[in-house]
Formats: sequence, structure tokens, C-alpha cells
Amino acid sequence: MPREAEPSLNEKQFVTQALQENLRLDGREFDQYRPVELTFGDQHGVADVTLGKTRVLAKASAEVTVPYADRPLDGVFTIATELSPMASPAFEVNRPTETEVLLSRLLEKTVRRSGALDTESLCLVAGQKCWSVRVDVHVLSHDGNLIDASCLAVVAALRHFRKPDTSMEGGVLTVYTPAEREPVPLSWLHSPFCVTWSFFGEEADIALLDATWMEEQVRVGSCTVSLNKHGEICQIAKLGGTPVDAVVLLQCTSVALAKVKEFSELLDKRLAEDLKRRDKGGFMAELRAENDR
Amino acid sequence: MATDRPLVLPGETIDPSLIPSHPKHPLRLGPGLRHIPPSDIVPTVAGQLITNPVKNSMWVEYNSQRYIPSVGDIVLAQILRSTTDFYLCTLSQHTAPATLPHLAFESATKKTRPNLAPGQLVYARVTLANKHMDPEVECVSAATGKAEGLGPITGPGCAFDVSLGFARRLLMARSAEDGGVGVLEMLGGEEGGGLAESARTVVVVGRALQETDRAGLGMEGQRRLVKKLVREMR
Repeated sequence: MPREAEPSLNEKQFVTQALQENLRLDGREFDQYRPVELTFGDQHGVADVTLGKTRVLAKASAEVTVPYADRPLDGVFTIATELSPMASPAFEVNRPTETEVLLSRLLEKTVRRSGALDTESLCLVAGQKCWSVRVDVHVLSHDGNLIDASCLAVVAALRHFRKPDTSMEGGVLTVYTPAEREPVPLSWLHSPFCVTWSFFGEEADIALLDATWMEEQVRVGSCTVSLNKHGEICQIAKLGGTPVDAVVLLQCTSVALAKVKEFSELLDKRLAEDLKRRDKGGFMAELRAENDR
Repeated sequence: MATDRPLVLPGETIDPSLIPSHPKHPLRLGPGLRHIPPSDIVPTVAGQLITNPVKNSMWVEYNSQRYIPSVGDIVLAQILRSTTDFYLCTLSQHTAPATLPHLAFESATKKTRPNLAPGQLVYARVTLANKHMDPEVECVSAATGKAEGLGPITGPGCAFDVSLGFARRLLMARSAEDGGVGVLEMLGGEEGGGLAESARTVVVVGRALQETDRAGLGMEGQRRLVKKLVREMR
């Protein structure tokens, strides 16, 4: 199995030394993200997030299945992450690396366990039929900070997604095609986002947002905070690494809130733009057969 | 520009008027060209066809992703580990390692050879690059026994990734005129305004190079970029 390429000793020393001088390799501020790009596909539920050179594509889909026996009133909601060799030759298909496991765990905790999607609304017939919503996360290019980019992509894909409309009449379940009835959005309760801090220095006193791949290789610890724009924290993950001062962590969370508000605004703006793009000017305009010659 | 550097595609027939002819030297084919006997010369990659009538040589200049070592290239290698006789080092990520003999340093004997840690960068020359074989590099000139600037790189420093085509343009003897890359001269000259030797300068130089490569900037664009970077730095 190919190993993850490591930066050289000289580069590691340089990055650390430059950070002591308040300098990042790409000239950003410590609490500055790379330019975030969010685009939606032609289909509903496809979101493409670009964060500098990192690029993540998320696709939401839904199908009708049987609910779990112990949860007859809940639908099924899964997030599948895949780090393909396309992102880095160190990733292999069907052999999850630590990065991949951590990524899927964090997404699971952030989006699923925080109750962002109302799974009860996915139930169609108690104990017999329910929607199974699945989000596939594909990492297309890896230049650090996969977690934040993936989380934004997952939330964007789910908010953009429309599932087919259904009706129950006399015990018969009907799933309508998009032509028969307009698909409906998911019942979405709140939008959590991840903000990852990377810590540097002997005592982890330097905190960086949106670390690049190189910075991720040099950091002494990292902490992922998931919260929504109301400041409700869904989870904090600080997995190993050098211990961080509590005051620093508190400052980190308050900056994270500001960043999450920016993400939230960006997502709302892009969703509104996409809606406008899709809106052809009402039902009659959509049914029109003549073309714009 | 367009006429003396025509674009060629793989398998295309090359216009005979483009092939240089010299009374004495034999025709030399560089990368991206293949001779099919008796007399066909066919490009194997897409790129710009460059001809040198003085040396009677021609090759295709293209920007590929993977570095393929060739003899005489000056490279930055990263030590992976040491074995009994040589160091194993990487020239590019995720490719087969190259060998660097312990004695291929200036005035190195079995007792005085440099001790390099894994991860250390060395500036080296490729001496052996055969197909299906691990390449070999050296830090000393075999002819003179002098390092000639090659050797281990000590202290903090940064290596910036740029594309291969851009690296070749930088290596040209007159990179500003022939390659269209002038950021380094600009940073060192008036536009740079006398940069001091510091980490900040290294970052600015690296960003200038990478941005020029990424956006494919022309001379005017590079001048603007340098101005912007220097202003940001102050």
C-alpha cells in the first residue's frame, strides 16, 4: 500500500518557523479560509464545494425501503464517504484509512446525531415503508481540511435535495414521478457546519483555521467544532495531540460561530440563486412548448 | 511566436519544412518525438514543436504531470531511508525511489560521508535514468570531484510545487525572454523594492511562482502580481 507522502524536514521546519513569525505559506491570516466555492449540479441534491485546491462533491439520493425493526417510525439516513485514489495515491478503495474513518465519524456526529434531518418525516407506513436518504461524499482533490469542506457539501446537498412526493390512499402508497407532482424538499431542522482548528507550536498556542495539506502534516493537534448559526454546538472533537489551553479553545469556538454564520449565509445565497435559475416563470411557462427561436 | 513553435498532436505528420537540416550534425530528437524507420518523425504527445537549427535538434515542449527522470537533470530529492551503501530518496511523490550512493558527495570517504536523516532534502543530479530501473542521483561531479553547488540542504526552507513545464521555463538560460517568466527578476529588481532575506521573502517568492504557474500569467500579469504581493507584505 503506498504511504502518504510526507513533506521534507526542511519544509516542516520552515512552516513552523514561519508560523512563529505570524506567516502562512499562502499569505492568509490565521483565521482566514481559502476562497469557498459552492455550486449545485443540474440534478437536485448535487453539491460541489471547492476550498482552495480541496474539492468535494456530495450527492444525495432517496429510495423506499423497510425501516429498521427497532425503529419502525424512523426513516433511514446514511452518509457514505469515499476517499478514492483520485484524491491521493495513499487512499485505496475498500480499505479505509484513519482519515476516512475520522471523516465519516465526524460527519455522522455533526449531521445525523445532531438531528439536522427529521428522520421521523421519512416514515411512510409505520414499520413497513420509509424513505432511505443517502448522501455520498466524493473527495475529488485533497489539499487539507477535508472535514469542513465535506460537511458543507453534505449539508448543501441535503438542503438542495428534493424527494419524490408520495400519497397514501386506502392503504395504497403512491410515489409520484417529478412530472406528476413537484418533488418535495426534506424536512430540515437546522444546518450544522464543521470548523476545524489546527494547533502549532510547543504548547499549541498557535491556532489556524482551514489548514492546507502541508500544514496538516506539521500540526501538533486539531480540534473540530460543529455548530449551527444559532451558536448551538453539536459536537467538539479533539482527538489526541498536544493539550490545548481552555481559554484558547473558548476563543476558537467564538470565532467558529462567526465562520459558521458566513457559511450559512453563503449556502442560503447559493440556494436562492439556484432556485431563481431553475424558476422558469411559473407553471404555464414551464408547460410552454414553443422554443425561444 | 505561433509560426516558429507550431502545435503538434500525437501521430500527426510533421511538415518537412519544419525539420531542421544541418550539413554536419546528425538530427537529434528530444522528448515527445519518435523516429519510425525509414524516414518518419512522429510526435507522441501534444505540445509545441521546438526546433534548434544550430544544434540540429527538435523536441516537443509539453506540460505533463508525472516527472520522468532523465540523465543530467538537476533535482531536489527527499531522503527516505539509508541502506548499507546508498540512500533511497524520492524525486517525485508516489514513484519508485531513486538511489543516492553514500560516496556520491564531495570528498566523501567511508568515514567522512555525510549522515542524512530521513526527510532531508538534497540537491542532486540524475546520473542514471533507464526505463524499468530505479534512477540514480549524485551530489558530486564525477569529472571534477567537486560538489558544484549540489549537496544536502540544511536549515529551514521551503520547496514549492510547480508544474514541470513551468520548471523547465524557469531553467531556460534567458527565462524572461524565452520562457516568459520574469517574476524572479522583478522581485529582485525595482518592483521588489529590496527584499530582505527572511521567511516572509521566501513565502512571497513561492507564491509569485505558484500563482504565475497556476494562472499562466504573461509578463504584464506577473508585474501586477509582484506589485500586489509586495504591497501585501509591507
